[in-house]
Amino acid sequence: MARQTTNKIKIYRAMRDMTQEELADKAGVTRQTIIAIEKNKYVPSLELAFKIAKVFNETIEKIFEYQNDSK
Amino acid sequence: MNYQEFKKIKILTTSFISAIVAIAVVYDNIILALAGVLIGVLFLFLVRKKTKIILVDERIQIIAGRAARLTYVISTVIIAFLSLIFVGIGRQTGEADYETLGIILSYITLFSVASYSLSYKYFSKKYGETNDEQD
Repeated sequence: MARQTTNKIKIYRAMRDMTQEELADKAGVTRQTIIAIEKNKYVPSLELAFKIAKVFNETIEKIFEYQNDSK
Repeated sequence: MNYQEFKKIKILTTSFISAIVAIAVVYDNIILALAGVLIGVLFLFLVRKKTKIILVDERIQIIAGRAARLTYVISTVIIAFLSLIFVGIGRQTGEADYETLGIILSYITLFSVASYSLSYKYFSKKYGETNDEQD
């Protein structure tokens, strides 16, 4: 059973013409963290996920998706 | 100031401290070495305080925590093994120095394990561990 949290940060960032640096500043994290989240190498805490969703003015479910693939 | 500029300042300050310590070693001057380290650390602390950029976030804290845990495990196991080896050599050869060194190392291992356990307990309590029964 593979579980993975994916996100659409890159898409939302592109839609709003926002750089990783700008998003990082608004969410209160480093640019490296945004890069890691976008590449699905790091799953953010619930608090950070809410902050990112708030930056995009969207709900958390629209930005982050939890996949539970049964094999 | 952005992160890259801060990184450059950090590298320059570290180079400065290294150079001062090297000069202090050559001239056998401990005060110069201490002053160099103190000034460097103080300077970096002030730069860190003045800068508006975010240098530490949750991902960096997680990485630091994992690195610290791995360092603790590796160093404790190595010191524990060394203490056993030194005590063994000391008892076989009859040299008290080896045995003393082994005993000191084993106490360092104990101190390391005890401080880890205490700090683990402290943070565990801080972040919500409780023995209260479920309602």
